[in-house]
Amino acid sequence: MRPAIAIAGLAAIAAGVTTLVAVNRAGDSGARAARAMLDHYCIDCHNSLDFAGDIDFTALDPQAINEALAVWETAVRKLRAGEMPPPGARPEESTAQAAAHAELATLAAWLDDSVGASYAALPPDPGRITARRLNRTEYENTIRDLLGVDFVASDEFPADDTVLGFDNNAEVLTVSPTLMRQYLTAAEKIAARAVGGSPLPAQSGFFSRNDRIRNIDANSIELTEVLDYDAEYLLQVQLVGNRGANDPPVRLVVSVDGEPVLEAEVPVQKSQVNIQGGATQRSQYETRVFLTAARHTIRADFVDDPFVETLAPGDYRNNNRNIFPDVIQIAGPYPAADPPPVRKPILSCDPDTGRTCVEAILSDLVYRAFRRPVTADEIAPFLAIYDEARMRELTARQSLQYAIAGVLVSPHFLFRREADPAPGTHASITDFELATRLSYFLWSSMPDRELLALAGDGELQDEATIRAQVTRMLNDPKAEALSEHFVGQWLETRSLDAISRDRERYPEWNEELARAMAMETKLFFAAVLAEDRPISDFIDGPYTFVNGLLAGHYGIDGVEGESFRRVELTTDERSGIFTQASVLTVTSYPNRTSVVLRGKYLLDNVLAAPPPGPPADVPGLDEAAVGTETSLREQMEVHRTNPTCASCHVRMDPLGFGLENYDATGKWRTLDGSFPIDSSGELPNGRHFDGPAELKTVLRENLPDFAGGLAEKLMTYALGRGVESVYDRKVLRDIVEATIADGYRLEAMMAAIATSVPFRERSGAPQD
Amino acid sequence: MYITRKSLSRRTLLRGLGAGIALPLLDAMVPALAQSRAAGSPVRLAWFYLPNGIDMRHWTPASDGPLPAELPKILAPLAPHRSEFNVLSNLTAHWGRPLLVGAGDHGRALAAYMTGMEVNQDVTDLRSGVSADQVAANAIGHLTRLPSIELGLEEARMAGNCDNGYSCAYVYNVSWRTPSHPLPPMADPRLAFERLFGTDAGLSPEARQTRFAMRNSILDHVIDDTESLTRRLGSGDRRKLDEYLTSIREVEQQVTRAATDGMMIDPGIDKPFGVPADFGDYYRLMTDMLLIAFRADITRISTMMVGREGSTRAYPEIGVADGHHPLTHHRGNMEMLDKVTKINVYHAALFAEFVEKLGATEDGDSTLLDSSLIVYGGGLSDGNNHAHDQLPTLLVGRGGGAQLPGRHLMYQRETPITNLFTSMVESVGVRPEYIGDSTGRLSGLG
Repeated sequence: MRPAIAIAGLAAIAAGVTTLVAVNRAGDSGARAARAMLDHYCIDCHNSLDFAGDIDFTALDPQAINEALAVWETAVRKLRAGEMPPPGARPEESTAQAAAHAELATLAAWLDDSVGASYAALPPDPGRITARRLNRTEYENTIRDLLGVDFVASDEFPADDTVLGFDNNAEVLTVSPTLMRQYLTAAEKIAARAVGGSPLPAQSGFFSRNDRIRNIDANSIELTEVLDYDAEYLLQVQLVGNRGANDPPVRLVVSVDGEPVLEAEVPVQKSQVNIQGGATQRSQYETRVFLTAARHTIRADFVDDPFVETLAPGDYRNNNRNIFPDVIQIAGPYPAADPPPVRKPILSCDPDTGRTCVEAILSDLVYRAFRRPVTADEIAPFLAIYDEARMRELTARQSLQYAIAGVLVSPHFLFRREADPAPGTHASITDFELATRLSYFLWSSMPDRELLALAGDGELQDEATIRAQVTRMLNDPKAEALSEHFVGQWLETRSLDAISRDRERYPEWNEELARAMAMETKLFFAAVLAEDRPISDFIDGPYTFVNGLLAGHYGIDGVEGESFRRVELTTDERSGIFTQASVLTVTSYPNRTSVVLRGKYLLDNVLAAPPPGPPADVPGLDEAAVGTETSLREQMEVHRTNPTCASCHVRMDPLGFGLENYDATGKWRTLDGSFPIDSSGELPNGRHFDGPAELKTVLRENLPDFAGGLAEKLMTYALGRGVESVYDRKVLRDIVEATIADGYRLEAMMAAIATSVPFRERSGAPQD
Repeated sequence: MYITRKSLSRRTLLRGLGAGIALPLLDAMVPALAQSRAAGSPVRLAWFYLPNGIDMRHWTPASDGPLPAELPKILAPLAPHRSEFNVLSNLTAHWGRPLLVGAGDHGRALAAYMTGMEVNQDVTDLRSGVSADQVAANAIGHLTRLPSIELGLEEARMAGNCDNGYSCAYVYNVSWRTPSHPLPPMADPRLAFERLFGTDAGLSPEARQTRFAMRNSILDHVIDDTESLTRRLGSGDRRKLDEYLTSIREVEQQVTRAATDGMMIDPGIDKPFGVPADFGDYYRLMTDMLLIAFRADITRISTMMVGREGSTRAYPEIGVADGHHPLTHHRGNMEMLDKVTKINVYHAALFAEFVEKLGATEDGDSTLLDSSLIVYGGGLSDGNNHAHDQLPTLLVGRGGGAQLPGRHLMYQRETPITNLFTSMVESVGVRPEYIGDSTGRLSGLG
């Protein structure tokens, strides 16, 4: 039997442990004792008439825990968190209170133990995952790994629907006619980049997107674009504005992927024309360079330019005070007089040498694209496309392009589909299916050759092999996908590239700051993985990653420049993820903070106790008046006085108040408008804290809940389906237990998921 | 003074208001158009969806009958065109209401708006109905290169933004091809452009023909392969692959049609890249493309999501720094109410520009405005309390004679808005028995 204490969250539970053993030995008498306690403490509200929270404990039998496991599990959590019974239903006198406390702890322990026993007795039920289409991210990464082609899927395909917090949910990853059309267009474009057989288009001109230009700092801008052809391109940099009449010229350097391609001495004074005409001064510098059909970053810098240090930051891009690089544009493609050879990874041989080469290329491609061994019959259609193109007098390369485009719209490529065991049974998935699940979980991409080879040799199913592969894969640069996409959706920091802040209230807000915020959180997660740290670091790890911009935002001295570096945090102001600017920003409104959003966020993501939605027709708070007419806390008192609101807001609001020292961009503050910040709070269980540091102490006491919540999110992400069945709940408990036993290490949790039954097996269709 | 790089290039927007919209290269398509126009200009249908409700005090004219020169504040920008639309009052979207379910009004408001059906409260199991535009597209979509086009001004970003147990799909999609299959609006101008006008510009006629032939060859092979695959599948996977198969067959038909209808489409504007920073420019760009698509008869049916339901967009262009949705929960706060109305007036002003362009665009013997029926409205009236009746509804254009505009028509309370949609669909020659909860046709339009 599983020791209940292993999962016990609150220190308070220790009181119940000794009686727990006694109760268990008592067998049925334990159930009788539980019944008595439920009748005493719970059924005043949880009965068939009041039906509070849709629960009726008069109809639930503690002798048959397995009939309502989820309910009992929730009951354990509520008891341990001190949320139930609610304050009004507890004795007021202190000795009676202590006795009740001990009794309730005993009840929680007994229930938890019984729940555990019921779970342990469940037969395996791995569940089913419908065939799922690659989502945008997976498609982009798969194209990169399959063909060595850069492709920006978010430019070409609509966003995938998000279900249960993630956009890789199998149920909704379908194909509409619009998307199919886009797949076809994308396949043609990608195949052309992969092989390079298409002639340059007749028309060429400026095509780059101005909204992709990043204002890195006062004298640098940057543009990243993916180019379609190996060809020459015109790079144009536009400068805007002027400095004083006596300021010295400045040196402009334009570079591509870090290599300088243009240098110029730029005069900075107002020209005669502009003195007379008064128009904004613009000048441009151009160069033509050969670039491959790939992603390139073009950058324009004023180097060794001390002038900007004399400017107020608000004047960096003021064209009456300063001259600065404003626009980078790319025009093309143009034919190159003497093009250098460009290596195409997919061309293992020269297609012009004949059909044997094309067959070899396609065989390997189809095998990797379908992520499993393929028969000659399965390669035949693509060879037929090639042959037809050849008959139409296209070149070997162009013909190969069409064959590759065919592979890229095949359902075997676009869908991850697994074979079904017989109805009513369950079985291990195949080695190749497991390789695919692992790689899309950890890399959001296709299996590499090592995984495919292990699968081909039938060696992947071994648990030690899976663990070794998880470790290897997490150490691969491709594991960045996890910190990018899992974290971006789990913590909602993905939305940072779309949200805005009121510029008047938050003048320091800009896209670069938002970007830096997202990067900090991503790097933090990656560090917890790479350095084999426990998940408690997410709550209060005393280190983080900042660049100059973010360090300035945080008031951290000594960090300058664009690149991120690790800093140790020594004050109470910040630690862990939940006091990072990213999280604090996405849980705020454009012009103010919200204790409700932040409180809900912590309940969802740290305490794994998401509150239900608000009932219909409840008026919102007048949060706009906060900081002017009244303090936020006065406003929020409404939540306490209205009982409908109070049931949830007594849990949400105090947590949110604990983060009130951070404004809507995550900046530290001690005043809100003209009111001093009061960041103290009291939770329903009476636990009091003052300020974010003490709040984190409280959160840390709930580490098992946090682990459970995180494991559920990771499982949802790994499986592409909700973690909903009773057996899923059991697996979650096991994963949390294994993680706790392994010192709460994040990697241990990942390995536990990858070796779990739902991840490695599959159920057949239900029997009729 | 600050310089921004948001100015749009010369050929990015349609020019020439007043003197008629210049669409220089559309003449190349006249033969094709003449064919389809033998029986007069076809009727075009569009729905412009407004999120988060409207302060109806500034929308509804005081009395019924002919529209006065002075319209309520929100409709004021449309006053110059008041002889070109009707204000329809008292229509209801019943299935948006909480009924026995409770919160989730934004999800229901949108998903029930054009389907007139109950919306299943679930995050994965999507069920509502077939939307009115798709009822029309299913019947007449084959007559044009695209059966319909779904546009929007908000990229469907879903993370963490669903409504009380209702899938994000419900708050982003007004068009539903089947009860479980929404058609996401395209918000990227370039993608919308390529969808409407193709990706093969600049190819020689021979190269184009080869490309079309090869495309068909690819699709044929993949379709064959998928057909044999689906025969071997279990039910869940088969449903997925059947959707895929339906989609790829439809694409094949589109490719075939494009190859045979002889239309070389140059829409007269450059292919746009990226989303304009200014909301007004964005709105103009997307509606210009819609106008060209209607003019060139690329499609006759469209929906346009001005914002997703529950949209939190701020409008710095007009000095509104707060998000739209939080503002609509104003609890009577005048400052917030004013800001909401400001947003609604801004939307109406941009829509008025579109209406003006439609009126200035020739279409056969009349104008595109005369051939169109465009709903301008949404599935909520009072956004503060989530009211699903007395919906804000304009019907713009004459629909080739289906509507006599210039009036305020007040219907009996609780008249289903799907009655209006059923009438609209009828004007393109489709006669469904009902759409969702419709109880008949909407009287008094003609």
